[in-house]
Amino acid sequence: MLGNGAPEPLERGAELSEKEGAMNRSIRFALIGAVLLAAQVPAQAERGFLANGLLPAMPVPADNPQTDAKIRLGAQLYFDTRLSADNSISCATCHDPRTGWANPHPTDTGIGGQVGGRNSGTVINAGYMRFQFWDGREASLEGQAVGPIHNPIEMGETHENVVRKLNGIPGYREQFQVVFGGEATIDAIGKAIAAFERTIVSGPSPYDRYLAGEEEALSPAAQRGMRLFNGKAHCTPCHSGPLFSNQGFHNIGVGMDKPKPDLGRFDHTKDPADKGKFKVPTLRNIAETPPYLHDGSEATLLDVVEYYDRGGIPNPGLDPLMLPLHLTAREKGDLVAFLEALTGPVPEVPIPSFPVASDLTPDPKGGLR
Amino acid sequence: MNRHTLGAGLLIGLVAGLLLPDVASAVPVFARKYGFDCTMCHAGMPRLNDFGQRFRQNGYQLPGMENQERSVLDSPPPVALRTSAGYSGTLVGEQEAGSEESAFRLNGLDLLSAGRLGPDIGYLLVYVPQVAESRGVAGQEGSLEMASIVFSNLGARGLSVRAGRFEPAFLPFSVKRQLAVSPYEIYETSFPEGIAFAETQSGLELSGSAAGGLRFAAGLLEGGSTNQGLDSPGDLYCRLAAVFGAGEGQTAGQRLGVSGYLGRARPSATVGGDSSPVSFNRIGVDACLNLGPTSLALQYLLAQDDQKLWGDDEDVTYGGGFGELTWLPRFDLAAFVRFDFVDAPEVADQDLRRFTVGGRFYPVDNVALHGEYSYRSVKAVGPDQDDLTTSTVTARADFAF
Repeated sequence: MLGNGAPEPLERGAELSEKEGAMNRSIRFALIGAVLLAAQVPAQAERGFLANGLLPAMPVPADNPQTDAKIRLGAQLYFDTRLSADNSISCATCHDPRTGWANPHPTDTGIGGQVGGRNSGTVINAGYMRFQFWDGREASLEGQAVGPIHNPIEMGETHENVVRKLNGIPGYREQFQVVFGGEATIDAIGKAIAAFERTIVSGPSPYDRYLAGEEEALSPAAQRGMRLFNGKAHCTPCHSGPLFSNQGFHNIGVGMDKPKPDLGRFDHTKDPADKGKFKVPTLRNIAETPPYLHDGSEATLLDVVEYYDRGGIPNPGLDPLMLPLHLTAREKGDLVAFLEALTGPVPEVPIPSFPVASDLTPDPKGGLR
Repeated sequence: MNRHTLGAGLLIGLVAGLLLPDVASAVPVFARKYGFDCTMCHAGMPRLNDFGQRFRQNGYQLPGMENQERSVLDSPPPVALRTSAGYSGTLVGEQEAGSEESAFRLNGLDLLSAGRLGPDIGYLLVYVPQVAESRGVAGQEGSLEMASIVFSNLGARGLSVRAGRFEPAFLPFSVKRQLAVSPYEIYETSFPEGIAFAETQSGLELSGSAAGGLRFAAGLLEGGSTNQGLDSPGDLYCRLAAVFGAGEGQTAGQRLGVSGYLGRARPSATVGGDSSPVSFNRIGVDACLNLGPTSLALQYLLAQDDQKLWGDDEDVTYGGGFGELTWLPRFDLAAFVRFDFVDAPEVADQDLRRFTVGGRFYPVDNVALHGEYSYRSVKAVGPDQDDLTTSTVTARADFAF
């Protein structure tokens, strides 16, 4: 009927005595109050399958168990510049413990001053990742560890030559014999470095302490940021789980407006659906590893938030999760406060002493740039 | 209920708002499956944001992450209980003096479940249990308000097929998920005992998207109550919308749309005459314009009904619409203002205007404290009569467990 949207008449009910009316009102007020209070049940009671939580124990592959000797050997190899062709670049050159085990520059500078196209990912918690590198081309940390050695613009060495060099250093040869029961091989080198990298794990962050019940561990701003992270800012669908990464690949549009954009995962899989997709990085200790995104194009966390707030750079494969967020300035600040609260202590690793040089190899240069 | 009750109620609302923590850790039941905050899908619950719209269109699966989803067979299906409690007071003009109403009460109660049954198969069910009217509790008839199954991502265009009882895409602005309590008047307007577009309908809907930001939908519906008894589902509709910029035109991007509805209905016994089915149709144009946290929703709907539906000797044409401005300065705060109008057909001569203003504050994720004022005016039928005016004040809390 025309205009049948009029508010329906309210039920007045029978006349009550003043006393009955007062009691009735009290019951209603109590009901309202009880319901409002019930709404404050802590979240810890139940969490969804995409919820972020505490880091589990580091997974260790069955064929590469952790041993102290192996970890010590891996640490030496990690910092040793002799793994590169001109003995100038080590793993630590681009994954520097002083800068969050990552590179403070947008992209790497490798052998001979060659500049790479991607930002160095952090080693912190890398052992948890199912895929290594931004395009996920390596499934194991062992495989990742030896990849840059023969990358022509990173360390520029061949696997054969680095094995020959290490076997020419008595101190290394002896250690490989103890740890692996034989001479150095490229597999053994990868295993030793991976074993060392698996010790680079972040400790409890303010967020973890908050989850454990320490309410004061997160500032009010960070708590608001947490709610935004799980809601309006749309972070959780991808940055989920204890690692704050679903370990998937997404096209968020970074660099896709360039004439020849980096196609990321597609370069490995050749699946057109993977064009422009990159691995979702962990957000633990993210505050320590600027700049951000796969090309290091965003200098600060706030810049990254601003990027997402704009909804990413449009392209045919842009992830459907990418949408303008309309975050306010305060909300952006809150989000950054929460991201900063994901920072936990990381083991301090001194630069180890290296096996002395032989006729085949020069002295190492200390590993760090 | 009186002034004291109103005062006490507002005081409770105020105190509750102040006492509740600035940020709560409550997880809404409906979002438990994912561990999300409600603002993941809602820009001012229950209004959907663009993410929520894509989630709905994708059969209640996260877009692009379908293979990570667990089905309701693998985990407990999410079930939500929704209701609201609060004060509503209505003042009427002189024409109906003495029928003022003012009461505290629990309003509405429904159970909602939605989820994934299997790969690209989702469901939504809203059950409204029967509640007896009693003092302080609004009565309601039991019904299955929505029960639909969605087959999504069919073919390259991301086609979806929705079957069952659902909100047809014909209406670009959801009645079930609007911020205001006051209804969209034009969606409620029809011929005597005619279809109310605000209601959910049973049928089948095909929807999808195409290049250039185009969105389309078409459906076959059982139709309104006056359509019951027809030999077959009789109503058809289609919708075409274009979205400019990133988004779905809900809270991001700019959306322009056009909808058409071809229906059949039997004239009501109240208007007399032949009860054979006759036709009616609607054509609507709409826009949703978004600028940062501000959205402007515009709708105009033009109706043309067969004369028999009104008991008139000519086909009847009328129209109406609304303009609604929504502002979300923060994720936990929403304000809205809306103007509704219906230019009634001459046979009814009851032009209608409504002005509504209100706001919602979300002290915790699953609770909304709602305040609203609405002034409604219906043009007098006779020259010597006053317009029928109604002022409604609502202060209540909506919550979902």
